[in-house]
Amino acid sequence: MNLLICFNEIKNLLRERLLWLLVVVTVCFSALASYNGYQWATMQTEVITNAEHEQQQAATTAKQGLAKRQALTQPINWWEDRYDLRGQAFYLMVNYATKPPLPNASIAIGQSDIQPYFFRMLVTNKQAFINQYEFVHPLGLLIGKFDLAFFLIYVFPLLLISINFNALSQEKQSGQLRLLMMQGLSPLRILFNQLVIRASIIVLPLLLISVAGLLLFSSGIGLLAISLYTALILTYALFWLAVSALVISYGKTSAYNAAVLVIAWLSFVIILPAILNTAIVTTNTAPSRIEYVDTLREKSDAVDKSSSKVMAQFFQDHPELAKSSNTNKPASEITTSYSTKKMAKIAALEKVMQQYDDAFQTVLMAQQHRAEQFSYLSPATILQSALFDLSGNGLTRHQHFIEQVLSHHKALRYFYQQRILAAHQRGDFSPCENCIARVTLSDLTQVPTFSYQEKTTDAPWSNVIVLLLLSMVIILLASLRLFSMNRSQTGIALV
Amino acid sequence: MLILTLKKEWIESKREGRTLWLSSIILLLLACALLSSWHSYEQVQTQKQQVAKSERERWLNQGDKGPHSAAHYGVYIIKPDTGLSVLDPGLSDYQGSVLRLEAHKKNDTLFRSIQDAIQMQRFGDLNPAFILQTLLPLLMILLGFHSISAERESGTLKQLLANGLSPKKLFIAKVMALTGLGLLFFAPIILYIVYSLLFGDNFSAGRSALFIASYGIYIFIWALLTLIVSSYAHTSRSALISLLVIWALACLLLPKFAIESAIQQYPTESSQAFQSKLESEVYTPERQQAISKFKQDTLAEYGVENVDELPFAWSGAQLQFGEQFANKVFDRLFGQRQMQLQAQSLHYQSAAIFSPFIALQTISMSAAATDLAHHQLFDDAGESHRRLIQATLNGDLKDNGLASIKRNKSYRGDQHLWESIPDFTYQYPAIAQLMSHYGRAVICLLLWLMAMMSLSYFAMRRIENEGQP
Repeated sequence: MNLLICFNEIKNLLRERLLWLLVVVTVCFSALASYNGYQWATMQTEVITNAEHEQQQAATTAKQGLAKRQALTQPINWWEDRYDLRGQAFYLMVNYATKPPLPNASIAIGQSDIQPYFFRMLVTNKQAFINQYEFVHPLGLLIGKFDLAFFLIYVFPLLLISINFNALSQEKQSGQLRLLMMQGLSPLRILFNQLVIRASIIVLPLLLISVAGLLLFSSGIGLLAISLYTALILTYALFWLAVSALVISYGKTSAYNAAVLVIAWLSFVIILPAILNTAIVTTNTAPSRIEYVDTLREKSDAVDKSSSKVMAQFFQDHPELAKSSNTNKPASEITTSYSTKKMAKIAALEKVMQQYDDAFQTVLMAQQHRAEQFSYLSPATILQSALFDLSGNGLTRHQHFIEQVLSHHKALRYFYQQRILAAHQRGDFSPCENCIARVTLSDLTQVPTFSYQEKTTDAPWSNVIVLLLLSMVIILLASLRLFSMNRSQTGIALV
Repeated sequence: MLILTLKKEWIESKREGRTLWLSSIILLLLACALLSSWHSYEQVQTQKQQVAKSERERWLNQGDKGPHSAAHYGVYIIKPDTGLSVLDPGLSDYQGSVLRLEAHKKNDTLFRSIQDAIQMQRFGDLNPAFILQTLLPLLMILLGFHSISAERESGTLKQLLANGLSPKKLFIAKVMALTGLGLLFFAPIILYIVYSLLFGDNFSAGRSALFIASYGIYIFIWALLTLIVSSYAHTSRSALISLLVIWALACLLLPKFAIESAIQQYPTESSQAFQSKLESEVYTPERQQAISKFKQDTLAEYGVENVDELPFAWSGAQLQFGEQFANKVFDRLFGQRQMQLQAQSLHYQSAAIFSPFIALQTISMSAAATDLAHHQLFDDAGESHRRLIQATLNGDLKDNGLASIKRNKSYRGDQHLWESIPDFTYQYPAIAQLMSHYGRAVICLLLWLMAMMSLSYFAMRRIENEGQP
């Protein structure tokens, strides 16, 4: 009997034009979203490859031109000399810190269109480079891209609602429900069959196309990522099926169900996340960036004005750099040189600005922590958080990247500090009156290079579990209502 | 007729509690969004004024130093906001509002708020524009999808027509009722604008009028669209589904497809490639050659052998020549990028023919000065100011630096020199002057209005036919 009902449901569905439209939309959008994600990841990889190529090219060109530079007799400005440590450190260095996309990156573009995924490094204060960004049309950032994450979070529930809203209610309106119940079928069983069959029509093509896209285009994607992705889709679908069942269980008309389900979608996917975001940002207000500029400027002036104190502090913090053995130059000449002063000022400015930078970081982390707690209030935020983490384009991986960029920045500073002071001590920058500086950096491959170290993070299985639990609670409520409908309808039927 | 229809709609809405609840929630959200945006705007304005004042004081009191050192010291300028940005923050969070002006470099604006945001921010901010542009049409659909289709389904439509009710009057009354409900949500915004125009100091009448008119038309378009679909649909169910599809396409999907298509059609280089090109084109052997040629020409012009014999400080002239050389490269490369971005904006606007949302979004951001075009105007004004600073400082070094250099001393500028550079102030031009930036959107919105009014005629005919025996 059950099988017969299922066949009948499939037969009825196949007759509806809406079904075919929904299947076509699902297929086309899944393919388009997968392609957009893949294209974005490819574009990022290309930019990173170009950056690496530019870095290698700079080293190769320097190697090729070394003999010519060594033979040079004409004066050359140090800030234009690629063989001068100071020129390299402060102006000419081609050194990139890049965050390569994960094999799963095409699942969600996430924050990767907003947060920088590469930095051009120089020996400067971190405040001068850490806010770099990719210059694109800001409207593209506001609207966002049509990737799998967008399709799944926003469009997928609408497709499920479109195909499910008239389940059971159509049978009730046409009077078929009472006939079916008289043959021993419960509304719960009928609705279960209908929802599963209808949802499969949307879920199966979506899974088939997106997983095939991931396997085909994302080389190196793991089975764990695919399993998690599939589990997320299934549990998110289950949530919307549960909500549909609950709404349908009230026994109202199809139009009523559709309107209520759309309101539910609007509340869970649009309004609630926007309210949560606004509430989190308002209760944990970030410091003002406008005031930050003011502070940066003020502190920078203060550092400039207390030059001698800054220098003393610098050599106190780096006693290894103050060693004056084998020196050809008086200490005063070294400490008053532009490059030494600049390095000392960078260190001093970073130190005094640390608390202000930390303030932003602290608030961001507090906001993110709060967002993770509240994300369980909406299935959309649960899914977004999981998909962003899974794709490696969320805040967590970006924070790891920034930590490593700052470490690399420190390593570069230390590399140049040591060598510039040593070169000063040897008198390499002015070997004699009117002489040109000696080559102080002959091999650019000696300069520390950046290599992003992937940090293992927990796969967001907890989001799957929460979605599953939420769905179960709603299913339970819907089942209770359908049982009572069964009782009352059976009563009417018997009378 | 209108009052009777309004009464009927009200009673039906009361019966269907869900829409009343949703309306109340959205009205509450709008009030909260307005209050929160206004509070944040007031705070930011105070900060901007204070920081701009401090920055000017810092510039004036930087002490005696070489003009070129002052050029490197530079200034930070802050992008102004209009009062309407409270209602539509548009792209503000995605563009940054601080610009550093310094020697040799043209910078992009700093500190985009979005970089300090959590990932939940991608769901959007609760601001008045978001509610009015995205949520209000959906609410109007939910309130009005069954306006005529339900009458048809229940058989009351035939009865009403048989009693001599004019289909035209019925349709117009229903449209007016739905538009009135839509405008009810817009009323707090109008009140805020009128109050600010009377008592505020950062509101332009032209921009406000454009803002109010475009939202009014938008609400009217959605009311017409809802009633047209309801008139044609056989059942309320199909009316609702059709309207939801239209809403999802117009407000969610088409904007994404349109901007993606614009980016594909008019691609911009990655920042990595752009910066790399900028450096390789400014600091080239050609630049060295151009400076040498300039030197030779100057020496020839003054009939001297050496720059030390020139009647001015050569370093000032050389620095200014270097600036002008770089400016040409900046004009070309930044100009190309700006042209591509403008082309993307126009391409996106053209898609407004398929979505009234795109039309309204564009006009609203333009009126509020929170779009890319206004950002670029500010950026251009900043660049002009940067060039003025460089020209003044280099000119001073050239004209007054010779005596110090001859005494083997470094020339130092003082407060008089810093004061000769005016403070940066910028006001956005009147909105009418920027028609080229948003004109397509205005035309598209009007086309939508005309199309809906034309389709209304057919919808009325369709209702009329229902009454025929």
